[in-house]
Amino acid sequence: MSRSVTLEFVRIEATHLLDLFEQFDGVLAGDAASDPAVRRLVPDAYRDDEEAAREFRRLTEGDLLARRRSELGIVRDGLRAASASQPGEMVVVELDAASVGAWLRTLAALRLVIAERLGVVDDTPPDPADARTDVYEWLGYRLDRLVAELD
Amino acid sequence: MSTVLPDEDLVLDVSSASSRPWQTVVWNDPVNLMSYVVHVFREYFGYSAPQANRLMLAVHHDGHAIVAEGAREQMELHAQAMHDYGLWATVREADA
Repeated sequence: MSRSVTLEFVRIEATHLLDLFEQFDGVLAGDAASDPAVRRLVPDAYRDDEEAAREFRRLTEGDLLARRRSELGIVRDGLRAASASQPGEMVVVELDAASVGAWLRTLAALRLVIAERLGVVDDTPPDPADARTDVYEWLGYRLDRLVAELD
Repeated sequence: MSTVLPDEDLVLDVSSASSRPWQTVVWNDPVNLMSYVVHVFREYFGYSAPQANRLMLAVHHDGHAIVAEGAREQMELHAQAMHDYGLWATVREADA
């Protein structure tokens, strides 16, 4: 990907997003065996072969979660630096080719985690009374916009 | 230090290999956005927009779609990449 992309946040959005990233980092410090949200990020690669699924997991799970944390770090550091250096109402993050992928995958993964916490299992919309539903939908909106800019 | 390895392992590998190809399958989930799934198929596999869109719709309506076929190791790499993107992918041997 050769284009550079710009993400704009109102300051309060940037602050909330940084807080979400902190929480996500905490989730990633857990493990797939005890947290279904982490499990969702490292799903079984074989449906009908438990042994192959276990072997695949043994070989890939650590790398997958390490990359997840590394990309979260890229995204969080970028937003944190932009927030600190721009005093105004808007926070603008310039994404280069390397960080675009990290932003896409991190936003998508964060939505998977929140969806798990909200109990999203089918196309039934999550509980509108739950404050996390707003966050979930807002992240979806931002991710959709980012994808539209790239395509 | 240099040794010449016996080629028995190689022979075993070949004899145990099946002629059937392996597949990477992406499964439907209620969370990932349709636009995002299309983007992933285009970016990672290099599919055209219509192809990627057709595959995404197959995932959405049929519950799953075969996104790649080939050697098992390659299909496992694809599945891992899909997991990186947050898509749920599995590997299987093609039906005879």
